[in-house]
Amino acid sequence: MKIFPENASSYGGEVDFIFWLITGVVAVASVIVIFLLLYPVLTRRRKLTKTQRYQKGEGFRNLRLIYLGILLLAIADFFFLYKEGPTWTKIEETLPDKEFHVAIIGRQWLWEIVYPGPDGKLYTADDVKKINQFYMPVNSVVHMDIQSYDVIHSVFIPNARFKQDALPGRNITRWVKMTKTGTFPLSCAEICGIGHANMKATIIVQNKEDFKKTLTKLYKK
Amino acid sequence: MEKIKKLTWREIPQARLAVWTLIAGEFVIFGGLIVMYILNRLKYESWGEMAQHTNVWAGTINTFVLLTSSYFVVKAHEAAVHKNKAQIKKWIWLTIVCAFMFLGIKSYEYTHEIMHGFTLPGKHLVAEGLGVESRYWSFYYTMTGLHGLHVIAGALALFFVMRNVTKTDKNYQRIEAAGLYWHMVDIIWIFLFPLIYLIH
Amino acid sequence: MNTHKKHGFWHRYFFSLDHKDIGFQYMLTIFFMVSIGGFFAYVFRMHLAFPDMKVPLFGLVTNKDYNMLITNHGLIMMMWLALGMLLAVAGNFLIPIMIGTDDMAFPKLNKISYWIFLLSVILMIASFFMPKGGLGVGWTLYPPLSVGDFGYNTPYKSFADRFFTANTFVLLAIAFEFTSLLMGGINFFVTTLNKRAKGMSLLKMPMVVWMINIANLLFMFSVGPLVAGTFMLLLDINVGTGFYDAYRGGDPLLWEHLFWFFGHPEVYVILLPPLGILAEIISVNSRKPLFGYKFILTLTLIAAVLSTMVWAHHQFVAGIDPRAATVFSIFTIIISLPFAGIILAYIATLWKGDLRFTLPMKWALGAVALFTLLGGFTGLHLGASVFDIYAHDTSFVVAHFHYTLFPTVIFGSFAAIYFWFSKFSGRKLNQTLGNLHFWLTFIFFNGFAFPLFLLGLAGQHRRIADYRQFEFLMQDPLPLYRKIATISAVILILSQFIFLFNFIWSLKRGKKETEDNPWQANTLEWQTSSPPPHGNFKVYPVVNYGPYEYNRPDKDKDFTPQNEI
Repeated sequence: MKIFPENASSYGGEVDFIFWLITGVVAVASVIVIFLLLYPVLTRRRKLTKTQRYQKGEGFRNLRLIYLGILLLAIADFFFLYKEGPTWTKIEETLPDKEFHVAIIGRQWLWEIVYPGPDGKLYTADDVKKINQFYMPVNSVVHMDIQSYDVIHSVFIPNARFKQDALPGRNITRWVKMTKTGTFPLSCAEICGIGHANMKATIIVQNKEDFKKTLTKLYKK
Repeated sequence: MEKIKKLTWREIPQARLAVWTLIAGEFVIFGGLIVMYILNRLKYESWGEMAQHTNVWAGTINTFVLLTSSYFVVKAHEAAVHKNKAQIKKWIWLTIVCAFMFLGIKSYEYTHEIMHGFTLPGKHLVAEGLGVESRYWSFYYTMTGLHGLHVIAGALALFFVMRNVTKTDKNYQRIEAAGLYWHMVDIIWIFLFPLIYLIH
Repeated sequence: MNTHKKHGFWHRYFFSLDHKDIGFQYMLTIFFMVSIGGFFAYVFRMHLAFPDMKVPLFGLVTNKDYNMLITNHGLIMMMWLALGMLLAVAGNFLIPIMIGTDDMAFPKLNKISYWIFLLSVILMIASFFMPKGGLGVGWTLYPPLSVGDFGYNTPYKSFADRFFTANTFVLLAIAFEFTSLLMGGINFFVTTLNKRAKGMSLLKMPMVVWMINIANLLFMFSVGPLVAGTFMLLLDINVGTGFYDAYRGGDPLLWEHLFWFFGHPEVYVILLPPLGILAEIISVNSRKPLFGYKFILTLTLIAAVLSTMVWAHHQFVAGIDPRAATVFSIFTIIISLPFAGIILAYIATLWKGDLRFTLPMKWALGAVALFTLLGGFTGLHLGASVFDIYAHDTSFVVAHFHYTLFPTVIFGSFAAIYFWFSKFSGRKLNQTLGNLHFWLTFIFFNGFAFPLFLLGLAGQHRRIADYRQFEFLMQDPLPLYRKIATISAVILILSQFIFLFNFIWSLKRGKKETEDNPWQANTLEWQTSSPPPHGNFKVYPVVNYGPYEYNRPDKDKDFTPQNEI
C-alpha cells in the first residue's frame, strides 16, 4: 500500500524522510503511553481499598519519572528540529541558480503560467502565457514567481511535496527541481471561492530536447 | 485620611476588580490597532503628508477637554467617598459636558475633513493615485471613531451610575468604577493624539 | 440565603439570575447550534463520499453549498460549541458552586452575557438566509475572499447590498459572541478571586476552576487584536476602508496574523477546561490525589504563555519570512513538553489507584488516549515545518485537529455531563444508554477521523467539493477511505441521538438521585443537596482541605470532603 504519491522532485524524499522519522519516534512513544495507560486500567480494576498510595506528587523526587518523560520528549523534539532545519533552509530559504524561470499567477479560478519569451527574460513584452499548463524541463532548477490577482490561492504540487500560498500584492519566489518526466497535478490548496474545487493545472515535465520544442511551439502562437 | 493597607484579593471591591479586568481587555484591543497603525506608518512615509491635513488645534483642545474631565471624575470620586450626593451630581454632570464638548469638536473635525475629500472609502484619493495614502484615513476614522464610541459609552456609564447612586443612596463604589473606565478612555486618547496628529 | 421558589418557563429560561439556570440556557442554545453544525457535517461528508447522490434531507450539493456547509460547520463548532461549552457552560455551572458561593459576582452581567450570546446565535443563523446565501469562505475568513466582491475595484454597491450579506452578519455574530465571552470572563475572574468560600486559598481550588480561569485570561489577552481585526474587516466590507486590500497597500497577511494570534491560543483556551474536567474525574475515580497539583498548574501557566508565541505555525507556507517560520517551528514543538508533563501526571494519578470504570471515567480515559496518541503526536508532524509544507491544508490537518478537538471538547463535555448531571438535575442518566453512546462514539469517531490521515498523506487537499477531478485522488483505495469516513461520521452523528434522548428523558423521568455525593467526591459541589437550592448551600461551607484528599492515611473513609472539620 502506497502512503504518499510518487515522489518526483529533488527534495521530496527529504520531506518524506522527516515524516517517517517523526512517525517512527512517535510510534515508540505511543507504545510507551499505551502501556502506561493500559497497565493500571487492566490491573487495578477491582476494588482494592487502602492498597493505593496517598501520593500527591510534590517535589522533584516524586516527579522524577515525569521529568524523565519530558526530557526524553525534549530530546526527540530537538532531534526533529535538528534534522529538519537543513531541509527547510534548502527548500524555503535558499534559491539555487535557476535554469528556467516562470511566473505562476492564480486568479479565480485558474492558474496562469507565464513563460519568458525568446529573449529569455520574464516580465517583458514577449512573454507567453498559458492557462493551466505548466511545462518544465526535467532535472533543472525552475524558479517560480508565485503571485495572485484577486484572492489568496495556494500552489500545491503533491508529487514535489511543494506548497506555497499565492498572495495578492506580493511576489514569492520558490524553486522546484523535478527528477522524473511525465505529467503531474498542480492544485489550489487554499479556499478561493466557488470554483476552488475546479482550480487545477497540469505540470508536464519533459526532457530537455522536448522542452525546447515545446517552447518554440509556444513562441510561434 | 484612610489608612493605606495591602488588600488581599478577597478584599478588593468587586466592581473595581471587574473594571480593571475590562480595562486590560480594552488595552489589548486598542493595542492591536495601534501596533497595526504604527507598522503601516513606518512602512509608508507618505502618510506623514496626510497627517498634516488633520486639525492639530482641535486635537489639542480635545486633549485638554479630556484631561479636565478626568479631573472632574477624580473630584466626583472624592465626593463619593464622603457620600455627598450634590457634589457627585455636579462633578459628573461637568464630566458629561466635557464628553459632549469632545464629541462636538470631533464632529467639527470630521466635517471639515470630509469636505476636503478625505472620506472613508477615499474614492477621491484613489482616483488621484493615492490609494496607499487613502488608508491613512481608514485608520484615522477607525481609531478615532472607536475611541468616540468609548467616550459615549463612558459618559453613559457615568450618567447611569450617578442616577443610580443619587436615587438609591447606595452603591457609591460604582462611581469609582465608572471613573476608572473614564480614565482609560482618557489615556487611550493620549496615546492616539500624538500618533495620529503630531507625527508628520 | 435566598429561598427556593418555583419559577415559570420564561423566568427560568430567560430572566433567571441563577448561575445554574444561565448555564442551562447556554447549554440548550449550544445543543441547538451543534445540531446545525452536525447536520452540515453530515451533508458534506455524504457529498464527498457519494458525489452524485441527492443527500437525504438536503438535496444535491453544489460547490457553493459545499463551501457554505464547511465554513459554517467550522465556525459553529469552533466559536459556539467549543468556546461556548467550555467557557460559558462549564464556567457557569462549576465556578460558583465549586468555590462554595451562592452565585456569580455580577448575576445581572451574567444574564446580559447570555442575551448577547443569544443575539450572536440569531445573527449567525440569519446569515444563512441572506440574499446571496450563506458564507462560503472557510471558517478562517481570510480576506480578500471574505471581503467578497466589495473590494474597492468593483462598481459601487449600496450600503444595504453590503450590509445584508452573510459576511457582515457572520462577523457581527463573532463580535457579539466575543463580547459575551469577555463579559462572562470578567465575571468568572472576579467571582473566583473575590467570592471563594472561607478557607479556600488559591491552591485549594479545584483544578477545573483554575483551568477555566487561565483559559479565560488567555482568551481575554489573545482576542483583543482580533476584535480590532474583526472591526476592520467589517469596515472593509461595509465602507471600503481597504485595510486588507493589497491594491491600496493593505496586507491580507495581516488578517492571518490577527486571526491566528487569537486562533492558536484559542486551541488552548478550548483545551484547558476539559483538562481540568479530566483532572476532577480521573482523581475521583482513581481514589487518589491528583498527582502533582502544583506541577500541573505550573505547566499550564507555561503552556499558556508559550501558546501566544506559536501562532504562525498556521502560516508556514502562507508567505511569511521562512526564517521567522523556523522560530515558530521551535516554539511549536516545545509547547508539546508542558502538555506531555500534564498528561503524564494524569497517568501517574491512575497508577496504583483504585480505578472505578464509571461512565465519566470511560470518557475521560478515552479523551486522554485519543488526544495524546493521535492528536498530540501528529502535532509534532505538523509542527515540524518541513513536513508541514506538504501536509498544510490537506486532510492530514483536518484529521489532526479533529483528533485534538473532538476528544477534548466533545469527550470532555460528555465526561462532564455524565459526571455532574445528577448533581444539577437531581436525576440520574440511564447507564446502559450511556455506555452504548460512549462505545459508539469512541469507535465511530476513530472510523471517521483516522482515514483522513491516510487521505491527507495521499495528497488530498482540503475544502474540495468534488475529488473526481483529481485522478490521483481517485485511485484505490482512496474513495474507499472516503466512504469509511463518511459512514462512520453518519453513525457518529446518529449515535448522539441516543444521548439526546437519554438527556431529555432522564431530565424528566430519570431515576431520582438520592445521595448528595454519589461519587464520594471531595469538592464542594458534592457537599450540598442534588439539585442544589437557589443559592447553592444551606450553610456556606468553610474549607479545610485541598480538593483531592482521597485516601488520606489519617482518615478512615477514603475521601475527605473539602469542608470536613
